[in-house]
Amino acid sequence: MSNKDKEVLLSVKNLEVTFHNEGRRFRAVKNANFDIYKGETFSLVGESGSGKTTIGRAIMRINTLSAGEVIFKGKRISGKISKEDDRDVIRSIQMIFQDPAASLNERATIEYCVSEGLYNFHLYKDEEERIAKVDKALEDVGLLPEHKSRYPHEFSGGQRQRVGIARAMIMEPELIVADEPISALDVSIRAQVLNLMNKLKEEKGLTYLFIAHDLSVVRFISDRIAVIHLGRIVEIAETEELFKHPLHPYTISLLSAVPMPDPQIEKAKKLVVYDESKRDHSGPKPVLQEIRPGHFVFANDREMAEYEAKLQEMEKAEASAK
Amino acid sequence: MTNKDNLFTFADFDEKESERIAAPRYSYWKSVWRTFIHNKVTVTVCIIMLTVVIFSMIQPIFSKYDPMYAPNINDASMKFLKPSLQYPFGTDNIGRNLFDGVWAGAKNSLIIGFVCTFINMIIGIAVGALWGFSKSMDKWMIEVYNVVSNVPFLLIAMILSYVLGSGFKSLIFIMCVSNWIYVAYFIRTQVMIIRDREYNLASRCLGTSTWTMITKNILPFLISVIMTYVAREIPATISYEVFLSYLGLGLGQDNASLGRMISQYTTYMNAYPHLFWIPVSVLAIISVSLYIVGQALADASDPRTHM
Repeated sequence: MSNKDKEVLLSVKNLEVTFHNEGRRFRAVKNANFDIYKGETFSLVGESGSGKTTIGRAIMRINTLSAGEVIFKGKRISGKISKEDDRDVIRSIQMIFQDPAASLNERATIEYCVSEGLYNFHLYKDEEERIAKVDKALEDVGLLPEHKSRYPHEFSGGQRQRVGIARAMIMEPELIVADEPISALDVSIRAQVLNLMNKLKEEKGLTYLFIAHDLSVVRFISDRIAVIHLGRIVEIAETEELFKHPLHPYTISLLSAVPMPDPQIEKAKKLVVYDESKRDHSGPKPVLQEIRPGHFVFANDREMAEYEAKLQEMEKAEASAK
Repeated sequence: MTNKDNLFTFADFDEKESERIAAPRYSYWKSVWRTFIHNKVTVTVCIIMLTVVIFSMIQPIFSKYDPMYAPNINDASMKFLKPSLQYPFGTDNIGRNLFDGVWAGAKNSLIIGFVCTFINMIIGIAVGALWGFSKSMDKWMIEVYNVVSNVPFLLIAMILSYVLGSGFKSLIFIMCVSNWIYVAYFIRTQVMIIRDREYNLASRCLGTSTWTMITKNILPFLISVIMTYVAREIPATISYEVFLSYLGLGLGQDNASLGRMISQYTTYMNAYPHLFWIPVSVLAIISVSLYIVGQALADASDPRTHM
């Protein structure tokens, strides 16, 4: 399957985000490059502090870029853009936040929380239409119209997150940046929110940028995955390809950390600890290179040869197993 | 044990029903009111406060008290009368009715307290909210604040009262000209605390304007701290008015004033103690009750007390 014939919705080019603190500089994201195709779920995985949220926020234009650009539907949206483009981008790219308790205004009713975007862009003809839209948005996420007059603190975590989803959906966006939307939720309701996100994606033809650290969740929801480590994207591949043929040592280490529900396998499992300092860094500077169509890995030529050999070995083993 | 299947039936699972919230509807202001009237002490103090405030607003209309008018000034038998039915608070050194004087003074003090606090709060909150939001405004506002807050208020009050002369309007001007900046600074700090919370980020992602953010996202969270500030500010302003009048900087001779009264009657503290203690007690009752009621309102407006 080639990615060439799919439409690129969002493209991140050489993105770099730097934080300044009293003269000290910290590069949170280093030279990130990836495309998100229309209609797919693209996931960013990595440990805490790896810069995945920063990339999401850079796309939302909350964090300013220190280099590179973000292109949405062929138009640059990073840096200074015209007021009209700004309004378009706000409407087309929406965000779902990590902590549903913190991301809703506690002193406003659900009706206001959900209509906030409608008010800002005046996306309704009259009050009746606005209320109808709010009712529809709440219904889409499985809430009841009578919840409109309630306050966020009266809801459970899952319900609150669904209010957050309704608030984003009412803008009829094309791309949704979901910043760890389920990591603050109880395990019992994670599936509910994930299924809802999948359902909405199919109904409305949405594209997701899904930011997470939980690999089992990521495997369930995404079409393609980018693994990020210390601000650098180390591997991008389609979900099954990545789980079957992880190449970069960090990816291998990350996959080995997924707990197995079978105690026998879990006990026998060997954890691979990734240590950047113990790796062989000889040779030229590594870059993100395409090893198979759609499978990118961060490597220099020497490492590329190693990965290629490993990949061929894995493919041979699979062929013989069949 | 027999198996009685008919005792149990399968319950239907209704997804809609499971979303329903059983708790009664929450209303912010209703909860504030309920918490406020729950405390019997504050309700009592509130009634005292309202009685004193309403009485001091109405009584001067009927008494038409004028401090410059002393018809009994030459009648020695009318001076220094002890409190009686006809003169509930007695009379002073020039035969004026102290009862009328105290309430006229209380009225002026209250009006100044409320008006100055209102002006200071309005300007302070508006400036402070923008100040807390705008990083570029913060750069120069903080310098303005540093300069203004380092000039002693008494110095400003003295110079201005010599320039403007004493009187009702100039006193209000003096009390407001620089004091709003302290309110603004306080609000600025509060705004900064909640400015970067995630729900504000969410609002920004939805394209909400700064003004809407201030009125819908920030100020509703500040109601209780603003209430606390007002509860402190009104009695403090009244005390300051009394203090300035005591020094001779506040209201002129032609305005009834508790402060001027207290300063005048200090000399009679030993011979005729009621002349000194009655105005002081009225001032104390007004300040303390306003403070207690204000604090209770501030507590009640904090939603953490609503549970």
